[in-house]
Amino acid sequence: MSSSLCVTPLQFQPRTPSQSSSSFFHSHVRGTTSATLSLRPLSPLPSTTLSHKLRFQPKLNHSSTTIRCSFALTPELKSTLDKVVSSNKVVLFMKGTKDFPQCGFSNTVVQILKSQNVPFETINILENELLRQGLKEYSSWPTFPQLYIEGEFFGGCDITVEAYQNGQLQELLEKAMCN
Amino acid sequence: MGVTKEQVESSLKAKLNPSHIEVIDTSGGCGASFVVEIVSEQFEGKRLLERHRIVNAALEEEMKEIHALSIKKAVTPEQWKQQQESNQSNSAA
Repeated sequence: MSSSLCVTPLQFQPRTPSQSSSSFFHSHVRGTTSATLSLRPLSPLPSTTLSHKLRFQPKLNHSSTTIRCSFALTPELKSTLDKVVSSNKVVLFMKGTKDFPQCGFSNTVVQILKSQNVPFETINILENELLRQGLKEYSSWPTFPQLYIEGEFFGGCDITVEAYQNGQLQELLEKAMCN
Repeated sequence: MGVTKEQVESSLKAKLNPSHIEVIDTSGGCGASFVVEIVSEQFEGKRLLERHRIVNAALEEEMKEIHALSIKKAVTPEQWKQQQESNQSNSAA
């Protein structure tokens, strides 16, 4: 479907030029470790099993305002995400990795964050379809990248760019780093 | 597959009653990427994040097909007027 537009051409990239692919893999793997480390403890099942299980899961009572497809955001995923966003001051859920963004919008936010000289975690949502769907509900935000600052959803690419241009982002990041 | 500029426009018009709206199809024809500029009273007193959430919610159905939605402007009529005036004085200067 349409959501795979950005993904499809890039999935083939590591395979085609066999000589140059090694450097890609290195950066790719670095990004992966941080994501899996933080996400695995609470979800020991591989993502395929989880998404399979998902279809047979009875509808859960959510106190949140999410109405549509409330299936992807399991209570386990929710508490994992709570931990991920609260244990890092700046977290970016993005397509690709910090060193190899696979979408222009994700790249824009990575470049802005890099220019701010603040430490930030990135998590590649292309590696886990369940995480990708769950995050849309978790943040009530339909697209990626999604930026979290101090455990709070800050916005997507447009909002980050605007806040960067008017100085609010710098201010917020400075405050976050002092806390 | 995909949605049209007209669909995006009519959904936004129906739900946000905008005084100005501009939708640009940036997908190159497949209907999955749009840039939106919208002026609505419903943005009054709302932070940018909340404004974007309003636009996203108005396009809930379309978002299933849209891959990239860039909300370039989500302003109140008051802000829009100010921006137009400052643009004019800039170009006049």
